[in-house]
Amino acid sequence: MLADLIAGFSTMFQLYNMFLVIAGVAMGLVFGSIPGLTATMAVAICLPITFVMDPSSGMALLMGLYIGGVSGGLIPAILLKLPGTPSSISTTFDGYPMAQKGEAGKAFGFAIICSFLGGILSIFVLILISPPLAEFALKFGPIEYFAITIFALTLISSLSEGSIVKGMLSALLGMFLAMVGSAPIDAFPRFTFGMYQLDAGFSLLPALIGLFAVGEILIISEKKINPLAQKMNTKLKGIGVSIKDFISQGWNFLRSSLIGIGIGILPGIGGGTANIIAYATAKNQSKTPEKFGKGIADGVVASESSNNAAIGGALVPLMALGIPGDTVTAMLLGGLVIHGLQPGPIFFTQNTDIVYGIFAALIIANIAMLLFLIYGMRYFIRILSIPRHILLPIIIALCAVGAFAENNRVFDIWALLFFGILGYLLIKFKFPIAPVILGFILGPIAETNLRRGLQLTDESFWPFLTHPIAAVFWVIAIGSVVLKAWGNHKKKKSLGGV
Amino acid sequence: MKFVNPRFLFFAIFIGMFLLLAACSNSTDGKASENGSDDYPEKSITVVVPAGAGGDTDRNTRTLAKNLEDELGVSLVVQNVNGAGGSTGTRQVLDADPDGYTVLAFHDAALINNVLDLTDYSIADDFEVAGIGILDKANTFMVSGDSKFDNLQDMVAYAKDHPGEVKVATETGAFTHLQLLKLQEEADVEFNIVDAGGAADKIKALLGGQVDVVPTSLGLVQEYVDSGKMKSLGVMSDERLELFPDVPTFKEQGYDVVFDKIFFWAFPPETPDDVVNKFSDAMEKVVKENGEFADKLKGYGVNPEYVGPGEAEKLIKETQNNYKEIYDSSK
Repeated sequence: MLADLIAGFSTMFQLYNMFLVIAGVAMGLVFGSIPGLTATMAVAICLPITFVMDPSSGMALLMGLYIGGVSGGLIPAILLKLPGTPSSISTTFDGYPMAQKGEAGKAFGFAIICSFLGGILSIFVLILISPPLAEFALKFGPIEYFAITIFALTLISSLSEGSIVKGMLSALLGMFLAMVGSAPIDAFPRFTFGMYQLDAGFSLLPALIGLFAVGEILIISEKKINPLAQKMNTKLKGIGVSIKDFISQGWNFLRSSLIGIGIGILPGIGGGTANIIAYATAKNQSKTPEKFGKGIADGVVASESSNNAAIGGALVPLMALGIPGDTVTAMLLGGLVIHGLQPGPIFFTQNTDIVYGIFAALIIANIAMLLFLIYGMRYFIRILSIPRHILLPIIIALCAVGAFAENNRVFDIWALLFFGILGYLLIKFKFPIAPVILGFILGPIAETNLRRGLQLTDESFWPFLTHPIAAVFWVIAIGSVVLKAWGNHKKKKSLGGV
Repeated sequence: MKFVNPRFLFFAIFIGMFLLLAACSNSTDGKASENGSDDYPEKSITVVVPAGAGGDTDRNTRTLAKNLEDELGVSLVVQNVNGAGGSTGTRQVLDADPDGYTVLAFHDAALINNVLDLTDYSIADDFEVAGIGILDKANTFMVSGDSKFDNLQDMVAYAKDHPGEVKVATETGAFTHLQLLKLQEEADVEFNIVDAGGAADKIKALLGGQVDVVPTSLGLVQEYVDSGKMKSLGVMSDERLELFPDVPTFKEQGYDVVFDKIFFWAFPPETPDDVVNKFSDAMEKVVKENGEFADKLKGYGVNPEYVGPGEAEKLIKETQNNYKEIYDSSK
């Protein structure tokens, strides 16, 4: 295996391939850092280009784009409170408050190092134990997926600042908006009011950037003083994080990376969910949960290690079994197939040169990403010196371009506007936004898998509780809700006693 | 002195930008070239694929599109317009300008969507069909490597004795769903038809043991057959396939179930005939004469097969009527 890996590196160290990986990372970072443009889009745009390259070179470019695209999201998340990609939603929760406190350098330092280490850890998992992990992931059928999504939805309680009722309402709103369009399975049109544009429902991207980016921009533009330029230290020295700082985050980092890998492996859930779940878990397990959302490094660590770890995770079922784990890996599969390479159970042993070339490309891309971001940090931060009346319209324009480009539909620009105004209103009325997006992503997964599961069990609910893996998630889900309720109850009591 | 409330002004600019951006994207393709089809094509052609990047529909389309570029001398820009089982992309082409610069590349799903009343337009009646370039004849039923079924007869016999017990995965309302309905009718059996999603999801469901049988295309699962993880129960082609000579047909196993997946190209309604013909001629040239194209398709396990505009329209109509019959009799 080591020999294969060395062979893989020697392929990737060829000047042309090296150039492609590094160019891929650079372009990916640009796509990731612009709200509205995502890793998925970068890969989709470059996929046809790789058709004319040899498979190793093509994969070199795509891996660079994938790593860069997922990592770039941390820049606007920390500086502007705008998630560049779905993968960096929860980086905004603490990264931005940190930057507001003048700790932008520290936030960047943690985010970059965790992105790098989370990515590397997941790549080693991918190289070393893909086949057994992929076999395990196969055990997750509709019944298990349903249990997991319900478990993930219970995390809403930790994502709701203040009122849990408002958090639940937000999540229900997200689920409702996801129901618009063709129903899963029977394609029955719901809430479309006869408008055929709504047949496909709202796509995730306009919903996400509408709620987070456009809504946030409307809020910022209300204020007279530019909060972005507010006494922020735009000079940075080093990477802002000491080794001691990092060691204190060790367990948080490891847990979040494992969550990222685990969610990445399950086909169909992906990095957008991983970072929210890792964040909520970090908050739940923290001794100081009240500091989350106010600029605590733990939040940035959780989000950024999990989203990069999800990359290696998503590649596990693709490489070991030929099953794509998310939209990006689905396109990577296409990129391999067009060269006559069909990933499947014997792909690993039959195409060792390409497989280990991909591993090598991933490692190189991660290192390139680390260097780009560390050296780029001091330049990114200058974005803040651009006056807001110039910066914000540019971002809005890029959001609209991104919304359109995903599916080449003008309708998605209107959807973006709708979600932007919705996001603005939600923020105004102090409803948390993260549960909306969690409900939007998880609602359809839960519904589809519930209905598929019922088809498998002849309409019986009983197996949903008795399947062992599902049962474990039900116990965790119920346990965490009960604990949370008990904690709240105790808090109220002690407050009452004072 | 305040003339306008700045907050209001911001909102006005904000909404204005959306209007502008939305308008931009419409105005570029608004002007059709009026100087006849002699010069066609004189700019790049947009190919709408109503499926995601990386799937077999996308792969087949891009391979043909790439070779068409050499024939037509302009670039073909493939756009993936995913959503609503393909009707979003189909609808987009239906509403596009009939100038020959927007073309739909899709397959049987468009016919089935109409049969199921999910769309109110049909490919044969409303579109200008340019032709068929690729047929996928290797439609098959797969079982896992350790399944007790070795061929179609085994499976049907078991299903006869145990009605509703054999779990067969499909994507409800998709091409494979009709194959199942047809076999149920032909063999007089009852399966437990369960939804498992698209091609990759179905493979996962079979490998994970959640279902017993998965209908798919052999080209997509060859690796699993080679590794012993899956077995094929047969193909739904008229006769044995050159690419998979060892796989028996459903027909020779006693069930007259024949399905070919048609990958067709169609222009918006009222596209001039000579534009359509010019495009179709280019298709014919690639499909019939281009050896590199044929080799590529061989690797995918599908067949290059050209059917011209008129014939293709007839074939599509017949196929759709056939699907309607199968669907109606299953109700």
